[in-house]
Amino acid sequence: MSYELTRRGFLAGAAAAGVTVLGQPWANVAYAADGKIVVRTDEDLQNLDPANRAGPIDVNVILAVGQGLVKFKPGTTEWENDAAAEIKQVSDTLIEFRLKEGLKFTGGYGDLTAEDVKFSFERFKPAADGTKVTYADDWAALDSVEVTGPLTGKIHLKAPSPAVWLIALADGSGVIISKKAFEALGDKFKTTAIGSGPYILKEWVPRDHFTLVANPDYIGEKPAFSEIVGKPITDDKTAQLALQAGEIDFSRIDPAVAKDVEATKGLKVEKLSAIDYVWIGPNIEKKPFDDVRVRQAIRKAIDVPAIIAAAYNGAVDQAFALEAPGLLGHWKDAPRYERDVDGAKALLEEAGLGGGFTTKLTVLNKAVAQATAAVVQANLAEIGIEVEIEALDPGAYWAYGENDASKNLELVLVEYRGKFDPGFQTQWFTSDQIGTWNWQRWSNKDFDALHKQGLVEPDPKKREQIYVDAQKLMDESAAFWWITHNAYTFAFKDWLVPGILPNGNQWQYASFKKA
Amino acid sequence: MDILRRIWRSPSGRIGLIATLLVVIGGLAAPLLATHMPNQIDVAARLSPPSATHWLGTDQLGRDLFSRGLYGTRVAVGVALAVTAIALVIGILLGVAAAYAPAPIERIILAVFDIISAYPTLILALALVAVLGPGLQNIIILVTIVFVPRFGRIARAQTLTIKEQPFLEAERALGASGGRIMLFHVLPNIVGPIVVLASMNIPVVITLEAGLSFLGVGIRPPLASWGSMLFDGFTYIGQSVWPVLVAGGMLTLATLGFTLFGEALRDAIDPKLRREP
Repeated sequence: MSYELTRRGFLAGAAAAGVTVLGQPWANVAYAADGKIVVRTDEDLQNLDPANRAGPIDVNVILAVGQGLVKFKPGTTEWENDAAAEIKQVSDTLIEFRLKEGLKFTGGYGDLTAEDVKFSFERFKPAADGTKVTYADDWAALDSVEVTGPLTGKIHLKAPSPAVWLIALADGSGVIISKKAFEALGDKFKTTAIGSGPYILKEWVPRDHFTLVANPDYIGEKPAFSEIVGKPITDDKTAQLALQAGEIDFSRIDPAVAKDVEATKGLKVEKLSAIDYVWIGPNIEKKPFDDVRVRQAIRKAIDVPAIIAAAYNGAVDQAFALEAPGLLGHWKDAPRYERDVDGAKALLEEAGLGGGFTTKLTVLNKAVAQATAAVVQANLAEIGIEVEIEALDPGAYWAYGENDASKNLELVLVEYRGKFDPGFQTQWFTSDQIGTWNWQRWSNKDFDALHKQGLVEPDPKKREQIYVDAQKLMDESAAFWWITHNAYTFAFKDWLVPGILPNGNQWQYASFKKA
Repeated sequence: MDILRRIWRSPSGRIGLIATLLVVIGGLAAPLLATHMPNQIDVAARLSPPSATHWLGTDQLGRDLFSRGLYGTRVAVGVALAVTAIALVIGILLGVAAAYAPAPIERIILAVFDIISAYPTLILALALVAVLGPGLQNIIILVTIVFVPRFGRIARAQTLTIKEQPFLEAERALGASGGRIMLFHVLPNIVGPIVVLASMNIPVVITLEAGLSFLGVGIRPPLASWGSMLFDGFTYIGQSVWPVLVAGGMLTLATLGFTLFGEALRDAIDPKLRREP
């Protein structure tokens, strides 16, 4: 049988092939056929040491590369076994575990053993000289980890800790690191993620991208994508354009452009309420902010509804206290402060600052933060306070959490990510955190005590009251001018199903799937 | 008057002159012409289109774009004139000094010019911002540093051209001092081409200041700058095109006006440089 290829035949064949391929419903899936997706992160990675990580962008990679004894089920706050073959709460203060066999650390650092579990968790206890890792409070209840065999052990708690499963075991602070890798890598450990999880951190080019590739030695369910590239893009508009141009497959977007993005062929949009806490506050060690009347005056002067309208396009709800609605400890009767310019002026007058003063407001150089700062600048100008805005890129901004740099702040707009236990939120405002994440250097012994009580109180009702009382102290200080708990809008290719926990900021890369 | 007449005679010169006058008058009379305070926010009216209340609409904070645009003119033209004037004076002094100075000093001055000129303008400006920090005063200082070599080189070249002219030889023979020769004979003869260069430089400075402000390292908020207005407008372009149109339009008007005016001025002052045969 012979076949002669004519020009007409070739064109007809090519057209038919084109229609066949393009007409298929799976045409869009072809974009991910190489098993690679590109996600946009708001900022770059900073520190991949689970105990000293800087935020959710770090922890998302840490959890993709590492394993805990348990992990959150995709998209929920329930947990399931991860590195543990078996784990059970034997009593209020004892948890027993048995590890799965055959778990191996990447980079040739050997098997994952109960010794690694002990090392990973006990790092969170204060050192002999009193120094602590950043996330020490996640494991505040830990007494010791007893190794009972190569793969078995017992976690002894000093006191009952209802928070330990949510904010420690299933989260970043529960990731098991290789003791051998930690000792061998030294300072490089914070830039080299070694784990036994579904992905390997193949490379991290600061300010450009990081690449996760599937770990061939991972013994669990293989991830849907063999490669995930994370691109740090600070500017929302740039991210939106990159998404619409097909350069990235998943991104958080500005809620104001959700309709535009949704109208783009091949893109989907999803919205999620968050449990973050966004606020403005002063460094209360600095004059004149050490005077509560000045803090009260500024609280009266700031127009939060205007901030929400102008900076957030009205897409978020106003916050009135630290803990978001839906969380244990949410203070539903928190005071609603109305704007009162005359009252603010009177308070400043009373504080001897009727002539006003000049100060500096430090913010991230993101559109929302800068718009917020612009409104605050205009609000405070009305009571005679001249505000200079210091808009910093993420690297410079988050550096205020190092080396006691926060002592140089005056006013600061802060946006911290929330987790599912109220104790996670309160820990950043304790006296221990001054010099690291308590940027306002606010110190209140009663608050510190309530925070500690909350971590070990097993009765939910009593815990709830403890956290409400803690927030009352924050309110009395007038040092926290709450703005919002945030809401997230995500856009992604319609062939993608992202894995996002209900707080909106924890992305489970291993749970990203094809639709 | 003769120069102005010559500028007016050319169509592009007329456009340039009118646009330049509009920009300069708009900037000078901003407090009289502005319908609102430039930093007054009105969130309820944010991103609104042109109306009887807000002639050119409002930005993302509800600030009046017409008023901010006018005040932005003051910043743009103010920076451009200040930079050009300071760079012109320093450039001429250094250029003439280099032409008359002993060889080692001349080499040092030229080396400094070469070092500054070796960097792309924006990159050098960004590097200097990193050292000096943003803000109106620092922007003027750093852009001046960037532009001094341009005037200095022309001043030196012009000075070298006329340095050996017979009329200067005659002055020297009559016993005139070096300072007197430079001040009363060299300067008047070199200043023409440099003033033309200065006028051509104004739009470049305006664009550079707008570029730095667009990148967030120029004029600090809430002071209106066309660059920062453009950046804010770009962020919210999906909701309103007016902030970008207003800032972009004013920037275009100013740069086009000063460019056409500068070219017409060059042609009027130095017919040899005319493009026409």
